[in-house]
Amino acid sequence: MEPKNVMIIGGGIAGMAAAWELAEAGLNVDLVEKSGFLGGHAIGYTCKATSECLQCGACSVEKMLKDVVGNDKINIHLSTEVENIKKNNDYSIKLKKTAAFIDVKKCTDCGICYDKLKDNDIILQGYSKNNAPLYAINREKIDENKITLKEICPEGAISVSDKTSYEDLTAGAIIVATGFDPFNPERKGTYGYEKFPNVISGLDLERIKRQNGFPARPSDGAAAQKIAFIQCVGSRDENLGNLWCSQICCPYALRTAESLKHKNPDLDITVFYMDIQNTGKSFPVFYETCKNDIRFIRSIPVDIFPAENDTLNMRLFDEAQGATAMETFDLVVLSIGIMPNSDNEKLSAQMGIPLDEDGFFKNSDELNKTSTSIDGIFVAGTAQGPKNIAASMAHAGQAASGVLNYLGVNK
Amino acid sequence: MNTNTKLQTDMEKIDLSKDIAVIGGGYTGLKAASRISESGYHVILVPQHNDADFNFSVLDVPSTEINRVKALENEVANNTNVEILPKSTLVEATGVPGDFTLKFLFADSVIEKKAGAVVVATDTAVNPLNTIYGLNPAENVVSLSEFENLLASQDTKKEIQTGQKTVAFLVGFAHEGSPLLMKRILNSVSETVGMDGCSAYVYVNNIKVADDGLERLYKQSRDNGAIYFKLEKSPTVMQENESLTVRFHDPVIRKDIELNPDMIVCEESMIADETNLSLAKILRIDQGPMGFLQNENVHRLPVNSNREGIFVIGSAREVQSLSQSWTDVDNMVLRVKQLIGDGEKSISAKAVVDREKCTICLTCYRCCPHEAISWDDKAIISQVACQGCGICASECPMDAIQLIDFTDAEMADRIQKAASAVTANTPKLVAFCCQNSAYEAGMTAKAFNYQLPAGLQLIKVPCAGKIDIHYILDALVEGADGVLVLACHHGNCKSESGNTYAKWRINDAYRKLEQIGIEKNRLEFATLASNMAVDFARIVIDMEKRISQKKD
Repeated sequence: MEPKNVMIIGGGIAGMAAAWELAEAGLNVDLVEKSGFLGGHAIGYTCKATSECLQCGACSVEKMLKDVVGNDKINIHLSTEVENIKKNNDYSIKLKKTAAFIDVKKCTDCGICYDKLKDNDIILQGYSKNNAPLYAINREKIDENKITLKEICPEGAISVSDKTSYEDLTAGAIIVATGFDPFNPERKGTYGYEKFPNVISGLDLERIKRQNGFPARPSDGAAAQKIAFIQCVGSRDENLGNLWCSQICCPYALRTAESLKHKNPDLDITVFYMDIQNTGKSFPVFYETCKNDIRFIRSIPVDIFPAENDTLNMRLFDEAQGATAMETFDLVVLSIGIMPNSDNEKLSAQMGIPLDEDGFFKNSDELNKTSTSIDGIFVAGTAQGPKNIAASMAHAGQAASGVLNYLGVNK
Repeated sequence: MNTNTKLQTDMEKIDLSKDIAVIGGGYTGLKAASRISESGYHVILVPQHNDADFNFSVLDVPSTEINRVKALENEVANNTNVEILPKSTLVEATGVPGDFTLKFLFADSVIEKKAGAVVVATDTAVNPLNTIYGLNPAENVVSLSEFENLLASQDTKKEIQTGQKTVAFLVGFAHEGSPLLMKRILNSVSETVGMDGCSAYVYVNNIKVADDGLERLYKQSRDNGAIYFKLEKSPTVMQENESLTVRFHDPVIRKDIELNPDMIVCEESMIADETNLSLAKILRIDQGPMGFLQNENVHRLPVNSNREGIFVIGSAREVQSLSQSWTDVDNMVLRVKQLIGDGEKSISAKAVVDREKCTICLTCYRCCPHEAISWDDKAIISQVACQGCGICASECPMDAIQLIDFTDAEMADRIQKAASAVTANTPKLVAFCCQNSAYEAGMTAKAFNYQLPAGLQLIKVPCAGKIDIHYILDALVEGADGVLVLACHHGNCKSESGNTYAKWRINDAYRKLEQIGIEKNRLEFATLASNMAVDFARIVIDMEKRISQKKD
């Protein structure tokens, strides 16, 4: 008997890894991704190597994307959402596609649409050459630009329809791999994110590094010399009700700081923190290196004010003086945390699997972190809770293993 | 392409043993045995440490899960597909993935077993750290494990409760610790403050809350009255007879603060199993930091070793909780199924030995990072174990090894074409690029229309370890103005040491260039990752500029 299809919701690193494992085991997979690109947040992350690899795992995402795109057992649905799910013996699923999308079979990655429409944010470019197609339509800009979109592509690869299109699927099992939302740092108003151009999030710095190769200040493009990282922005925050550690931000800040220092030893980098979390099994050695290169201050700054030449004044509590102090930086990086995906509630209701008190998908079995309250539905990656790239991939492997078990597929 | 340069090989049909050896009898080992047998394989379980029973260290198992773990123990003990070798020690491992021969020492006799794959699932051990604080074990100075035991027994717990003890916890000054240890500490602190009249003072460096639920546990314990002092240096701890003093300087109120607790609970570390070292030696797999198995290399994650068919899971590779171990177990099952399948598979060769040329010097055996090479009267490459990196082919002094997809003849062809490709008045650059990193970065730079030298030609290699020194010299001879060797970052080579071999050969090439009077700056070595297209472009443009300046 032909093994059943599996649907995976979410094409980030967890969804891709789960899809690849199932395809390797001989199953057909429908990988459903809301945006126009596979890869999720992690495909945008930069390499953090110094003279050696620091195990950030960003390159694993690139590799996985390549493997998934090249695998013909994986049917990729981009710009697609789950409209509804019905459980009979199997799952009957209705998928909903955005009103305009780029047809991967016709797109030649020529970039004409991007060159003409990128300034209005209508066409987006993928992070990787392995994104197929390399371009996507910004879903928020579709409605007011249908006519432009219809005419722009010389290959006719942009499909524009007046009414929403649906597709029906059947799946024997489902993996929920919808990932996370990055914390919106505007909620921490005293840091002035979006008000002061040189206060940026960790994700912003990743974009800047990818484009420039160095920490260019948004205000003038100049290389920042004195940089502050503020940890736990959105995480471990009782006032916000966010009672979890996002697990990735300490490793993020430490590795980023080290890789920036490696490229430019003159950089002056300070990390403001509550507790430094581990990076891996050689953390004790790595942490000592970091302490030599980076200034660590155990204090979360109070607020930030603009100062001359686009610099920033930061008010903080100085333990040595026992009083508040003021310090000036060129660039302030907010290490924003992992929040539950805003779609979680909708998906939870669609499938009848509950969320935990923080808004991540709840495990029915404490020891099996891929379990949900329904046997044929598994959760993978940060949809279950904060995880780094490697942990998301391993979690996805476990979910795939669970699916194979559930469907009785051996060997 | 010149078709004569292509090597012809046939598919080889091989049988793989469906017996899987699992070493380690803790939770991870048992879970592994259970899940592997569920998948239709026969398990040889070697619990190692224990005599008859399995060895759960209590600290691994939350009290709520003990019954479940006991049930797993019963299930495995009664599973007819699991053969248990008690009191046995692995002493020898030979063979290839799918067909390992393992020898175990049992009392005075040797037991021999065949196995298709080997799973190392050793546990952690506990190491007390009281001496680092200058403390001697006493009735009122206990390790975390000892304190957990006191709380676990009704009698001793009652003693703490009726004594209305003030308990001081020392955490994170003797070592960095882990979320798993922190969870145990937070649980003990919570239980302490949960007893009427008892109080808990926690002297702690970094609170490791990077796991599910720990921040909430931390907050709850504070809400219930636990006091945390977060310090960067250890407090001064004094133990005189039965009296205990903990003193530290509070930077906020700028005063010394002193406490005389009734009891001190001292942190401990969870360390690698003592047998890991010998297992690594016998199985010829890499050791990682601090006695754990598996090198820190993202290509190995989660459960691979440097050898195909040998997997390292759970706390054998890193301190892990039960749920993390289960994640490893399930990933290992995927890898076992992928390798062994239904016990039969067809594979095509990635590398072949010319038996006429081989002088059995065993250079290949020594340099293969995947332990894929053995010998009879000539070197033999296990095609299951071979990862096709080509380090052996480049190191072989007799040129007796060829990679199927990258024969020397093909490579010569590609180099000749690349180096003689006609370009306008710009320098001709030949970049040898590892297919796992620099080649991807280069192709991305092209796809994104980054500015690249007009005279740049990429040559894909399976690993930088396959770049022979004569490839570099040939490229220069054939007309390249500059040659780049672009490898993976140190610690990110899929074949562990390919980039190191490349670096050695580059240094060798520099010496040779000097001897024959070619400027050194026509050759460059750099490391990249697949997602470093911007850096790729910068490196090749810089090279072009340097060479253009020289030419002017």
